Amino acid sequence: MDTNIGYQIKHLTFCKYALKTPNKTIALSFPQMLELRRKINELTSYSSLTNIVNNDNFVLLFVADKEHLIFLEIPQLLVLKEEIDLLFHTPVSLFV
Amino acid sequence: MNTIVRKQMSIHPDVMDLLNNQIAMEMKASASYLAMASWCDQRELLNSKALFYKQAEEEREHAMKIFEFINDNGGAAISPNVTNVNNDFESLLSIYETALEQEISVTQSIFKIFKAARKADDFITEVFLQWFISEQAEEEDNFRSILDIFGLMEGMPLKMIDERIPTE
Repeated sequence: MDTNIGYQIKHLTFCKYALKTPNKTIALSFPQMLELRRKINELTSYSSLTNIVNNDNFVLLFVADKEHLIFLEIPQLLVLKEEIDLLFHTPVSLFV
Repeated sequence: MNTIVRKQMSIHPDVMDLLNNQIAMEMKASASYLAMASWCDQRELLNSKALFYKQAEEEREHAMKIFEFINDNGGAAISPNVTNVNNDFESLLSIYETALEQEISVTQSIFKIFKAARKADDFITEVFLQWFISEQAEEEDNFRSILDIFGLMEGMPLKMIDERIPTE
């Protein structure tokens, strides 16, 4: 299974970000990005992942102040978590 | 600390998460003191009642201080869920013992954030937390002094012990 299913985060300008999904690109402000980070961190905790696997095996997530709804399966969820971690932790000098 | 999001937020994101946990802890402590105040209020233990109402307010103020700090520094403060507040106590002494244990847990949690801030070179949070460390030392001392009163007045009527509890 290809886990790199097109979820990507781009830093566009000083305070604009973009979340690229397989279907669309969603523009995000920084507070919206922080909220996405919070939700993804919550969803990828051990107990939450177990809960998802034992139930529907996917999550629906509102992003950008509930303007968009995205569908995420576990591999996509984990890819998105990595993308967000990268954005929040990579030093400027290493960020491409 | 020079990440891509540094221009948006002055504090480290991992430290921000710990600060949000601290808000939840302070709000839980506030709710817990309110439960203790109610127990004392129902039993006419006036000085203890006053002390716990005041403590409940203070803990909320601490939470608000952290809440505003996170938002002022570009982060996202999260309003916490407060659940499982214990309203059932066996004695006034056990209430004060629980209060001291609660304060020690809060102190330990602040130390943990302080260490994380230092490790992440988040000096803004480190300096901000210094006030909390002094405050916690004071809080622990207050409750230890009260527990000393219980030791010194062992066997005396509860009302007399309560009258010796400092309200300021």
